[in-house]
Amino acid sequence: MKALQSLNFLKDRVLILVVLGFHSLVALLAPYLQLPATDSQDSAALLQGPSRSHWLGTDFLGRDVFSRLLHGGRPSLVIAFSATAIACAIGVFIGSLAALAGGWIDDALSRVVDLMLALPTLILLLLIASFFGQDPLVLSVALGLMYAAPIARVARSATQTLLARDFVRVARLQGGSRISILFGEVLPNVWRLMFTEVAMQFTWILLAFSSLSFLGLGASPPTPEWGLMVAESRSYMTLNPLLVLAPIVMLASLVLAIQALVDHE
Amino acid sequence: MKSLVRQILFSLTTFVALAIISFLGIDALPGDGCTALLGRFGSDANIEACRQKNNLNDPVVVRLRDWSSDLLRGDLGYSIKRDEEVARIIAPRIRNTAVMGFVAALMAFPSAIIVGLLLGRYPHTFISKVVNQFSVIAMTLPEFVTATVLWLVLSLWIPVFPGVSVMPSNASLLQLLPNVWLPALTLAVVIFAHSMRTMRTSVANVLNMPFVQSARLRGTSERAMIMRHIVPAALPPVVNVVALDGAWLLTGTFVTEAVFNYQGVGRLAVDAISDRDTALILPIILFGLAVYLASSLLADSLVRVLDPRLRSSDR
Repeated sequence: MKALQSLNFLKDRVLILVVLGFHSLVALLAPYLQLPATDSQDSAALLQGPSRSHWLGTDFLGRDVFSRLLHGGRPSLVIAFSATAIACAIGVFIGSLAALAGGWIDDALSRVVDLMLALPTLILLLLIASFFGQDPLVLSVALGLMYAAPIARVARSATQTLLARDFVRVARLQGGSRISILFGEVLPNVWRLMFTEVAMQFTWILLAFSSLSFLGLGASPPTPEWGLMVAESRSYMTLNPLLVLAPIVMLASLVLAIQALVDHE
Repeated sequence: MKSLVRQILFSLTTFVALAIISFLGIDALPGDGCTALLGRFGSDANIEACRQKNNLNDPVVVRLRDWSSDLLRGDLGYSIKRDEEVARIIAPRIRNTAVMGFVAALMAFPSAIIVGLLLGRYPHTFISKVVNQFSVIAMTLPEFVTATVLWLVLSLWIPVFPGVSVMPSNASLLQLLPNVWLPALTLAVVIFAHSMRTMRTSVANVLNMPFVQSARLRGTSERAMIMRHIVPAALPPVVNVVALDGAWLLTGTFVTEAVFNYQGVGRLAVDAISDRDTALILPIILFGLAVYLASSLLADSLVRVLDPRLRSSDR
């Protein structure tokens, strides 16, 4: 029975929190850990295996893999956080407005959201990154706009749930205007119903940015970023599999831990 | 019937609206076919001459009208950068992606339905739990991770398949086949979990329904239970997922094709975008939209055929 329990690692709360804690600490503290610089190249030590001076070896430019690994989540996390914030701001506003207004406004907004959901996300991101540059700000805004649609959808149904609750009905009977109900009653409470959806979208944004980096249109070299690290090191996989496996394990553990955590709620 | 017609009309208007938005959006991007061809170093006079020749100086409304009337006649346009008809560039790529997607669908969907049925029927076994864990992982990981790991294991460590494909885009089917397996397996791993989990949940729901219990009380054999009662009732939700994933197999394969250098539409899209070959990007986007809308239409009609309740409420 014990073996069965331990195999269920995606339901192991302690493990999930340890992994998330590790990732937060690493992402926050990486610059202060006295690690070798992520872009310092050592041409005398290319593609070396693990050693005392380079814990996970070096990549094809002689850069320290361990240091790059610990820094590698930061660009994606910064972008994922800001993009999620933008997506929430837009999505929650549109969704709750649609539910609150009802009628033709609801119909029109829902149509727009449907249209946005039909758009091919990755190809648009590639277009934007290619034509407007790989600026983190541009990419966050683009990702935020694109992932606003699914959030708007959930916000709409969450608001409809709230509107049926007594405290909102009381506010309505007291003669509150729609705007005051939106800001006073709906927005402060809609978050609790949307936590899971937002966390899931956060991981999808994170993965989209990593995939973009992998295709060469997200983070630009020499930035350490996991997707980019996998792409850069693929040709040297046979020499040192750690070059691709280490960033893969980091990305996978972070995303799985977040999803496993919210899946519990 | 009425609602089907309405849905077809809705899909068509969505397509037209998004096609126009895409045209205008791509038109608004800095650069056009001529700057893509001549690059940063083309002199202003050369670029101007090229634009004159290809009618790029016409007002946007005129070009939109010309483009859409060409499209209605089946003319996808002309890539200045590649000096070729767009249809001739895209057609072999779509075939390549379709072959890969077909292989992936064969790998994923039948096994997903069988495994989902078993997991839904016997949810508390050890194997169910293991398969569940791995399906969550497979569903979450991005394609470049799945692809790279499969490549590392099945091509470098245990050399079963060739890794990077070396083939022209118009390779014959026989040339294509050895290169299809690894990318198709990657796609299959990504989509397997969706349909499997939907089937599992759906089977679990059906098992709780009164008609299943009454069939059981009548003494129906286990086999007849599964084939006659459980599977037909559990399939409709799976059809939707299969349709969406089927559309994704044709339109969402950028990363997988890039990893294995497979010459499909996804690869072409990434190339066209980095070349800024706008004449090529637009038809690829339209292809994606058409596949997506057609597959959701197909799924809805299939569900209607499979679920008699929807048929009767349709009248």
